[in-house]
Amino acid sequence: MSFLTILALGVAVLVAAPYLAHRLRRKRADEVPFAPARLVPEAPPKARRRARLEDRSLFAIRAAAIVALALLGASPLVRCSRLALSRGGASVAVAIVIDDSMSMRAKDSGDTTRFERAKKGAEEILASLREGDAAAIVLAGAPARVGLAATTDVSAARAALEGVGESDRATDLDGALAIARTLVGELPQIDRRVIVLSDLADGKSDGPALGSNGDSSVPIWVAMPELAKANDAVDCGILSADRAGGRARVRFACSVPHAATGREVQIKDGEKVLASAALPQTALGEVMIPLTGDDTRELFAVLTGTDAIASDDRALVVVESGPAALAVVGDRTDDAVSTGGAPVVEQALAALHVDMAVRPIPQAPDRREDTAAFAAMLIDDPPGFTPEQRHALAAFVDRGGVLVLALGRRAAAAPLGATFEPFLAHAPSFGPTPTQSVDPESGAPVLGDGATSLDDLTAKGRATVAPDDVAAFESLLKWSDGAPLVLRRARGRGEVWLTTLSFSVDASDMPLRPGFLSLLDAIVAAAKERSAPLRGDVGVPWAFAGARQVEAEGPRGRVPSARGDGALRIVPTLIGPYRLTVDGTPELRVAAPMQRELDLRPRAVVSEATSSSLGGGVSVVDVSWTIALALLALVAAETVVRAMTRPRGETA
Amino acid sequence: MSARSSIRNNSPRIEAVRPAKDVRRAIDWGSLAPIRIRARVVAEGVYAGSHRSARKGAGVEFGGHRAYTPGDDLRHLDVRSLLRHDHLLVRQFETETDRALRLVVDASASMGYRGSRAPGSKLAWAALVAAALARVAIKSGDPIGMSFIGGSKDARPVPVRGGREVFERVVDALEAQSAEGEAGSSIAMLDAAIGSIARSARRGSVVVVLSDLLDLPPQAAARIGAISTRGCVVVVVQTLDPDEADFPFKETVRLKSLEGGVTVETDEAARERYLAALAAEQAAWRQALVSRGAKLLTMTTDRDPVAAVRAIVEAAL
Repeated sequence: MSFLTILALGVAVLVAAPYLAHRLRRKRADEVPFAPARLVPEAPPKARRRARLEDRSLFAIRAAAIVALALLGASPLVRCSRLALSRGGASVAVAIVIDDSMSMRAKDSGDTTRFERAKKGAEEILASLREGDAAAIVLAGAPARVGLAATTDVSAARAALEGVGESDRATDLDGALAIARTLVGELPQIDRRVIVLSDLADGKSDGPALGSNGDSSVPIWVAMPELAKANDAVDCGILSADRAGGRARVRFACSVPHAATGREVQIKDGEKVLASAALPQTALGEVMIPLTGDDTRELFAVLTGTDAIASDDRALVVVESGPAALAVVGDRTDDAVSTGGAPVVEQALAALHVDMAVRPIPQAPDRREDTAAFAAMLIDDPPGFTPEQRHALAAFVDRGGVLVLALGRRAAAAPLGATFEPFLAHAPSFGPTPTQSVDPESGAPVLGDGATSLDDLTAKGRATVAPDDVAAFESLLKWSDGAPLVLRRARGRGEVWLTTLSFSVDASDMPLRPGFLSLLDAIVAAAKERSAPLRGDVGVPWAFAGARQVEAEGPRGRVPSARGDGALRIVPTLIGPYRLTVDGTPELRVAAPMQRELDLRPRAVVSEATSSSLGGGVSVVDVSWTIALALLALVAAETVVRAMTRPRGETA
Repeated sequence: MSARSSIRNNSPRIEAVRPAKDVRRAIDWGSLAPIRIRARVVAEGVYAGSHRSARKGAGVEFGGHRAYTPGDDLRHLDVRSLLRHDHLLVRQFETETDRALRLVVDASASMGYRGSRAPGSKLAWAALVAAALARVAIKSGDPIGMSFIGGSKDARPVPVRGGREVFERVVDALEAQSAEGEAGSSIAMLDAAIGSIARSARRGSVVVVLSDLLDLPPQAAARIGAISTRGCVVVVVQTLDPDEADFPFKETVRLKSLEGGVTVETDEAARERYLAALAAEQAAWRQALVSRGAKLLTMTTDRDPVAAVRAIVEAAL
């Protein structure tokens, strides 16, 4: 605040002047000629008259005029700083990327979160739009999504913005930018921009600078770089808390190692602390805490102390069991690698670092309860299934399991009574393969680039599925001659995958190719999505294929379900437990934070993205003219009031 | 709009003291102008309302003829003239007493005051009444003289004369007058106006003093009353502005006298005390005059001049 500003504001002190004048002045009367004046007694001064405010309206107007004058003088101080676009005369199309990830919950100073500041900035940007401008809203919380498609209806944009709230999602800035560019890229406006309102903490602080690899025709403007510069915030969060074997295992992550200093994790039963342990000073660590007592209690792991984000300091301790496991069924004598070690499937799954337990079992289970622990079952070259096995596997798939059948030589030589019903109506056959390569394009949607690696598989043969059965499946990958290699079919809430090659390295080189990893990854992803894992990443939808009704009660009340891709889905946007009811069956799931979201370091930004030519981070809306108009109005009002109340001339 | 409220919106006017060459605009005549015509109209009104001649009493010396006026004594009707000229003529006789009309008009500064409700300044109103009285007197064949208390030095008094031309001289003198001087500062100003009257007026002369009596010296009442003891009919007409008569001020005002330099800040609360003081002063004047045989009339300038002249004439009878 400059001296002149202080001086101008000091003028406001003069507001007391009219008050004192009105209070203290004795009314100086008009001088009137009057011949017999000597006969007129002089009126004694009246203290009461001297003290009263004689013209309240006049006093109010004069006082307001002085205050307006002071504000006018100090107008640089009372200018309202607002975000606004730097623009020429043409209409502008903007896509506003608002980061609603968990890191935006951080409070850098005061009680205002980064998200609230970003939302206010978005409101100011929307307010600066003119008729003909288009606006779109993209949310950068993972997965990035469209909050509002491009529209010229600014009021609709405001309404959409009003509905955007905080979440505990991870950050997907790249995805959000891609969506934003897509939204405004085809609009008729020549001036198109992507406005980023984010702390840029997307866990890629060492990655390429934001805006370095984008389309230059749609420039990026990081409108509030101060959100990223306020990087003094530190945070620790609980990634997972499991209970097994009389102890709790709490995995945590901190934005910086010293953030864990002096903090500990407590296991609480309600408000009662059952056990605690200090956090090691590390950015990513694990704490094992012994537990005693009843395992049925609902326990929470809580971090002591305070940090930038409070929502990730508490997590439900879940029992480490349930369906989050993969079963691999195979003849270990046949599948064992000649050099020793686990079968190639197990090794591949280990290489994928799937967050699920891999459990080899000798044969397909023949009881339903034996399938309850698995989210997916990979059965390599099964010689058909017994009726009990078929019944158990069908129930497994119906409840949401993913069954993978790798058909090989033994599948075509099933013993009497062993079939693949109800998954296949006809018995598969096995024979030489006319081709050794696959059609990469057919597998691109599922396997991506991995499909190209499935060439020259040196397969000693392949299974052939009856055409009727093929028609019932979706072909995900084909041989180069058009025969199916990977098939998929939905059943109940689960899926059945078929491959016409077994997973044995003796049958083909497929298990040794990168494409095989891609195939397993897709299977695991399907299993995670369709199964009912106790814990999932926040923001990643839970799909309930085949379910007719799903009700969910999240950390902050009821969570609506939506149908998409043929299944009911629920998106856990907040960290914490979700109590579900799927077709009347209660279920408990936990949404956990993603580790990368706990990295609060901002991502670098190209210098052009913060250029003032794109927008006014320091733009102001000058209110001096309004004050000046108000002052003129007050002066006019004062004149009118004086004219009405002082026809003989104001003497005060 | 009431009379009082009108006071708030109209400042009192006062004739400014101007150079002698501009005296014709010095008096705020208001709606009373032109005095020459207005005075004749007023006088005609007085005739119409009066059924008696202003002249009474019989003389012993023939003084000529004049036109018959209803109310004249039929004994004085000149039958011969009626038969010879077919005109009703009355034979006039000079009375033993001098019925000359001596007008004393106060032209001091205070007479220049004009309130918001007055048709003109006090001096204008007094001049109109004086001219009308002169016209009435001329109609009656009485000589007229006029003098001023204060006023412009260029305005000369009118010596006592008879005949029609004296009316013109009276009017000219009145029109040349302006409100100047402080009558209360010295008795000499009053003596200059009434001294000759006191010395030379014959018995039966009618002396009409038109003044506001506000700023005259303390001896004025006695001096004027003394004229009455010499056998003259003295009628003092206190001429007040309506504002002076009822003190209409509602808010705090600073009242400045036109003579004496008195300034008083007051408000409506002073009204009762002012009126009491004014009444006391009028009572003192009345006491001083009546005790000497003179008469005091109090009139305000919003009064109809016809009624005013008639009242003065009746008071002089």
